[in-house]
Amino acid sequence: MEKTVEKTLVIQRYNPEHDQTPSQQSYQVPFDNSTSVLDALLYIQQSLDPSLAFRWSCRMAICGSCSVMVNGIPKLGCKTFLREYSGDLLLEPLAHFATEKDLVSDMTLFLQHLQAVKPYLIRQEQSAATTPASKPQPHKQTPKQLAKYRKFSSCINCGLCYAACPQFGLNPEFLGPAALTLAQRYNLDSRDQGKAERMPQLNGKNGVWGCTFVGFCSDVCPKHLDPAAAVNQGKVASATDFVIGLFKP
Amino acid sequence: MSEQHPPRRPYHTPLTGSWWLKHRYYRLYMLREATVLPLLFFCGCLIAGFYSLQQGETSWLNWLSFMAQPWVMALNALTLAASLFHAKTFFELFPRVMPLLPAPLMIAGQWLATLAVATLLLLLLGGLL
Ligand code: FES
Repeated sequence: MEKTVEKTLVIQRYNPEHDQTPSQQSYQVPFDNSTSVLDALLYIQQSLDPSLAFRWSCRMAICGSCSVMVNGIPKLGCKTFLREYSGDLLLEPLAHFATEKDLVSDMTLFLQHLQAVKPYLIRQEQSAATTPASKPQPHKQTPKQLAKYRKFSSCINCGLCYAACPQFGLNPEFLGPAALTLAQRYNLDSRDQGKAERMPQLNGKNGVWGCTFVGFCSDVCPKHLDPAAAVNQGKVASATDFVIGLFKP
Repeated sequence: MSEQHPPRRPYHTPLTGSWWLKHRYYRLYMLREATVLPLLFFCGCLIAGFYSLQQGETSWLNWLSFMAQPWVMALNALTLAASLFHAKTFFELFPRVMPLLPAPLMIAGQWLATLAVATLLLLLLGGLL
């Protein structure tokens, strides 16, 4: 299709080398039905302004690196289309994160929070190395057991939920939707035995109880994971953990 | 040969006190949380009612006439509306936290239970039972 219609993209610019505060810059971008926000950014970078910085990789909503704010709402650039907007588009870096340059956010905090909940299978049993005679066995799982955590397992770490979460905005130490969802995902996995190691993080003041169920995180999640539900299921787990703790010597 | 990179200088956008005015979603959330305010007033009324009941007839009658004032009725009507709104949001969130049955079923069940309890209370307090 021929691209004749143009749209105005207003982009927040910030260059750490010489800017004290961010400013805005407008670009005219030709578009058709299939032009995504990421396509538009690539067009600007290639044809209008090579200095524009933004992240991207897969272009198919899998890598989670193209997250930006479009008109104030956290979006994946590659999954958002110019045709969806009647007026101009305002593009800003993810809210609640520091801006490295232009649309590139500093995701360090996010990655630290993900790590904090030990998002991997933890087994308590002896490792195969100590019992050389026995080969490591595969861990079987029934479809029913899989169904328990499956919907929480498709996170692409895009960080949109953190940009939607005012609690994370107010307290950057709050572990946040994705990390708490990931904790829940592993706690619900029948092969995992690490729940006891994760609960202190979840029970802590920056854990599940920091969430007030604003619910916007679930709305913006490009994979429809419902992180708000996962975090609040974590509250049930945390409360259960507390009650059980009362009866333990 | 290593190129000299300028030091990083990430920009922190400050979060202002009016953050919740920015989105319809946040405003709705704040509205949900604010439903507690009229509820506080109603609780005050209720406690005063119990207290005046214990104090004797005059004080009880005084309380009744206080409750019948238009502005008190209006505030309590607001409390009812606010509580129903809060109930609606709560009933919709609950099946997501405890997915025991299909969500529409759980939502309908909660409304039915509310209706049953309200009817029972009305009958009991209205002296019809
Ligand atoms: S480019 Fe990979 S998710 Fe958008």
